[in-house]
Amino acid sequence: MAVNNNEPGPRPEQGGADQRMVVIDCISRRFSIDGGKTVVTALDDVSNYIDRGEVVVIIGPSGSGKSTLLRTLNGLESIDEGNIVIDGVDLADKKTNMNTLRADVGMVFQHFNLFENKTCLENIVLPQVVVLKKNREKAERVARDLLERVGIPDRENNYPRQLSGGQQQRVAIARALAMKPKMMLFDEATSALDPETVNGVLSLMKELAYDGMTMAVVTHEMGFAREVADRVIFMDGGRVIEEGSPGRFFDAPESDRAKKFLEQIL
Amino acid sequence: MEWFAQKWQVVESLAPFLLHGLWMTFQVSMIAIILGSLLGAILGVMKTLDSRALRLCIDAYMHFFRGTPYLVQLYLIYFVLPSLGIAWLQFDSYTAAIVSLTLYTASYVTAIVASAIDAVPRGQEEAARACGMTKAQRLYHIIVPQALRLTVPPMASVYVIVIKSTAVLSVIGLSELTRQGETSILRMPQDTMFIYALIAGLYFLYCYPVLRFARWAERRVGSSAAAQENA
Ligand SMILES: Nc1ncnc2c1ncn2[C@@H]1O[C@H](COP(=O)(O)OP(=O)(O)OP(=O)(O)O)[C@@H](O)[C@H]1O
Ligand SMILES: [Mg+2]
Repeated sequence: MAVNNNEPGPRPEQGGADQRMVVIDCISRRFSIDGGKTVVTALDDVSNYIDRGEVVVIIGPSGSGKSTLLRTLNGLESIDEGNIVIDGVDLADKKTNMNTLRADVGMVFQHFNLFENKTCLENIVLPQVVVLKKNREKAERVARDLLERVGIPDRENNYPRQLSGGQQQRVAIARALAMKPKMMLFDEATSALDPETVNGVLSLMKELAYDGMTMAVVTHEMGFAREVADRVIFMDGGRVIEEGSPGRFFDAPESDRAKKFLEQIL
Repeated sequence: MEWFAQKWQVVESLAPFLLHGLWMTFQVSMIAIILGSLLGAILGVMKTLDSRALRLCIDAYMHFFRGTPYLVQLYLIYFVLPSLGIAWLQFDSYTAAIVSLTLYTASYVTAIVASAIDAVPRGQEEAARACGMTKAQRLYHIIVPQALRLTVPPMASVYVIVIKSTAVLSVIGLSELTRQGETSILRMPQDTMFIYALIAGLYFLYCYPVLRFARWAERRVGSSAAAQENA
């Protein structure tokens, strides 16, 4: 099904058959470490979903599988069992072109990962030209608009290392948005930032959420989760332990593990 | 005064002969450096691809050519290969020199390029993958350009080693600089030391600019970003 719902904007009516952006069906992911002697189960039979326009915040202790889950959603991490369907595209299907899929799913990393050999503008232009085959002029126009939108219009000719962490992360968000993604993934996008730049990036993410972007966000910012999330997923040991609306989850967690986690972090 | 006059005479009479040797050394080493760098760059990139079989083959090649003396390799290619009786492996000394030196150069370049690619932070590859770039696009636009700047300093020292290795080619009768010098010594045995000094000077004349060029390139690559930004 080629639902070309690239433009952020009004979402389809709730309840339609097409309401799910992501369906995660019983996925597991194991890593063998120290030469195969030990097996770590990073994801253990996880099932879940993300609706169109929904903001899902994934929280949990270190090593609980949050990043691994996020990375399976754009195929950066493969899965051993189960299946994922994104906007009707079956990731397990051999015929699925993973690169086309990744162009549709934007990802923002903890350490920004801007292309070090390209200027800010080029960082945003290059994927549009190379992957979407857009012509350069159009791509540059998009890039300049986005740089303006993320609040750093005057740094287009700077190289990433000449920018602060917060500025780099804004460019990284712009780079992902330039692909007109159906969905955005954020893996601890503010964890590597100085405290004073965290809020700027968070409010940018908030804007995106209010514009209707479908988002999966791994974060330790509980204030953000409470305010912006439609649903919170709590993970531990590679499993989803508990999920619910942020109000319900933060004020009345059900599982002991979630209670303990929240006690430690709040 | 007389000493100088005598030595000058030696220089005058040997100059065309030795310069011919230098030219041959220059030619063979340059061809080997260019072909070896191209071959090494290709093999270096291939070594970082996902194929295990490919990696094992390239490793075997690298270990053989880096783990044995160049002289032995040259003997194998010039004296042993022809005895296999395969027509296109019957090299004359010039071809044998270029083939062996190219393979020797490429074995080092392969190692340099592969480890430079490995040294590019993983996040760069991941970000490019997350944007939907294919493996080839990732390599071409992101990984290789960042790896190349890391290769400049080690590459220069390999080139100098290759240039000096051409001295070994005298054993298969190639009229390169060392061979021409040895022949000269047979003609003028009383000037042995002086002729060796001349040869050393000529090698230095060739290697030193290479090293200087390398240092210049290193600085340029290092500051290319800053230069572009000021432009
Ligand atoms: N590439 C890998 N190789 C081996 N083990 C891995 C790999 N990636 C993740 N793991 C393991 O899988 C488990 C889950 O890791 P993951 O990175 O998903 O956790 P996380 O919840 O994101 O933790 P953090 O909050 O520290 O980022 C961990 O035990 C981790 O060590
Ligand atoms: Mg993580």
